[in-house]
Amino acid sequence: MSRRLVGSVAATLVMVLAAGCGGSSEANGKIELSLGLFSDFGYDKLVEEYMASHSNIKIEQRKVKMEQHNTQLATQLAGGRGAADIVALEEGVVSQFRASKDKFVNLAEYGAKDLKDQWAGWKWNQGTADGGEFVLGLGTDMGSLGLCYRRDLFEAAGLPTDREAVAKLWPTWADYAKVADQFTAKTPNVKFVDTGRNVYKAILDQTEEGYFAKDDSYIAEKNDKVKTAFDTAAALGTKQQTGALEPFSQDWNVALKQGSFATTTCPAWALALIKAGAGDAAAGKWDVTTAPGGGGNWGGSFLAIPKQGKHPKEAYELAKWLTAPEQQKRIFKETGNLPSQPKVYQDADVQATVNEYFNKAPVGKIFASSAESLKPTYRGTKDSKVGPVFGTALTRVEQGKQSAADAWTQALKEAADAAK
Amino acid sequence: MTATRTETEAAPAVSVPSSGEPKRFRLNSWDTRYTPYLIIAPFFLVFGIFGLYPLVYTAWVSLHDWQLIDGNQGFVGLANYVELFGDAKFWNALFNTLSLFVLSTVPQLLAALGLAALLDRGLRGRAFWRAGVLLPNVISVAAVALVFAQFFGRDFGIVNFLLGLVGVDPIDWRAETWASHLAVSTMVMWRWTGYNALLYLAAMQSVPKDMYESATLDGASRWRMFWSITVPSIRPTILFTVVTSTIGGLQLFAEPALFDPGFAANNSTGGSDRQFQTLVLYMYEKGFRLFDAGYAATVAWMLFLVVLVVAIVNFSLTRRIAGKG
Repeated sequence: MSRRLVGSVAATLVMVLAAGCGGSSEANGKIELSLGLFSDFGYDKLVEEYMASHSNIKIEQRKVKMEQHNTQLATQLAGGRGAADIVALEEGVVSQFRASKDKFVNLAEYGAKDLKDQWAGWKWNQGTADGGEFVLGLGTDMGSLGLCYRRDLFEAAGLPTDREAVAKLWPTWADYAKVADQFTAKTPNVKFVDTGRNVYKAILDQTEEGYFAKDDSYIAEKNDKVKTAFDTAAALGTKQQTGALEPFSQDWNVALKQGSFATTTCPAWALALIKAGAGDAAAGKWDVTTAPGGGGNWGGSFLAIPKQGKHPKEAYELAKWLTAPEQQKRIFKETGNLPSQPKVYQDADVQATVNEYFNKAPVGKIFASSAESLKPTYRGTKDSKVGPVFGTALTRVEQGKQSAADAWTQALKEAADAAK
Repeated sequence: MTATRTETEAAPAVSVPSSGEPKRFRLNSWDTRYTPYLIIAPFFLVFGIFGLYPLVYTAWVSLHDWQLIDGNQGFVGLANYVELFGDAKFWNALFNTLSLFVLSTVPQLLAALGLAALLDRGLRGRAFWRAGVLLPNVISVAAVALVFAQFFGRDFGIVNFLLGLVGVDPIDWRAETWASHLAVSTMVMWRWTGYNALLYLAAMQSVPKDMYESATLDGASRWRMFWSITVPSIRPTILFTVVTSTIGGLQLFAEPALFDPGFAANNSTGGSDRQFQTLVLYMYEKGFRLFDAGYAATVAWMLFLVVLVVAIVNFSLTRRIAGKG
């Protein structure tokens, strides 16, 4: 047995070593470009097309989970090797990587500034530094906010099911909380919302400054908007109107399938996740409407080019092509990822798009109008470190481990540590 | 196990050079004296590169303000260590690590002993059972954690369902400290009990059978024979498993990480209030989520010291206990 063990250990080692030596760049005269992505950017067909029209380019996509992607990228940047030629930076962490911008190519050197007008102004700004002189990344999609709800569960609770009527129920988040009370009174065994955390994040994403002021100073303690968002979400948790679920986790999928919650905040990209979790049996039961409190943005990404890559120019050409209006439109039609370019989301074709699964909701229209009224939140350099602290605080409230006040106090303390 | 094997393999080599002419003899003596070192040299070479160098480098990093991406931001001396000693999250992680270690290792080794004793008896389909106990260890930890995380689900988990049958209210396995430790320990036990049982079994089979025969003649019970003959005879193996499971248990990472549904998102704290955040998870949070490599290196070094201390304590304790049989 032991010899076999040694053999298998050796085999594993060889495999690990072989896997470690991945980064080749020029095979048989072709320039190889790698794309470091997470979840679904909808690039599969586009990449094939690009290779067909550029015979000297070979493209490889690397897809991992988002958290793993960010961690890997950080270590690859630190080590000076191993990063893909083009990497996706998610909106939540782009400010963190912006602080290490010397590890990235300034895309302005290749003329990226000329493309500026393609994007919504705030989207462009999120991807730049030094007052727009340094272009870190080109915007892909964005995550303008909607609210998803179960029609059958609303009907059972005696609430309207038509999406216009539902939108009228909750112009503000306070109204949303009132609807939650009505809902719980009628159907106490069904949770009104999956998690208070997403409600909190959605409310906060509708403000211009969250944890950090626009000069990057830490203001969570004195920003009433953070407190209001927290209190609103925590109240839902205290009243046990939330499912206390980890968003997008396996438990969340199970709850979707069981139909154990009635609403969830949904940025454009979340529709695919809900559909995957709830399955075909729930087709037509979910619907999308306007979120309380107006437009907001959650998520969306950028394509950036690490300096360590060997072909920055070719990588830039590819990134430029992938984020160009024509391609964004196609991606929206295929995956539902919302374009971050006004010309595209105002396009008649995009506006007319409906989502069959979500009771034929006119998602193009809903998300585009949400994008129109959107005030993007300023993300501080340490936003991605501070944010999760408030999320876990809300989980403690939902689990009944702490009162909302205690959870808030502890969160502020931990957040101040993280912001140091 | 490795220790005992090198002993037995080295032994015949010493007894070889007794005959032959002087020149040959000299070569032989050189051969016998240095070949063993030569043979184990690659291990130490590899250990130097992949073990010692990172260890020293980590110590070096821990003395700096070191950011993961941007690198060295200047020497800070022992400041990281000073901060660590006042860091409640560190002590919490240390407590969790020790608690999980005790909860998983003690029952695990005892169960492994019992299992090995059962396997040592003439069972039908012996090979099947022996291979079977190793199966949980062969399955990838990610798969095990995924399945167990579902077993211990709050709303639709099978454990809560079974508890409900006997009238116990559903338990939120991730919210309560003790519950989460129990759940994570179960995972560890599931993976490692069979492995340790096989090690014990191998040792038990080399215990001379005549000892049992004479004990039987003296009228000793099975229980008595187990504690008075079997356990003392396999002492070296017990010591070995205690040390390896100490090292493994204190470095617990994958099981608690995957038990936390937030790990895949950006919330890898091991529970909403760090209920099951181990030292390695805390190190991961500091290093790879907050990008504070200097502080993470400090945690790593403290973990190293803790493992060292606990391993030494366990080693001497077990030697004394097992030796008394």
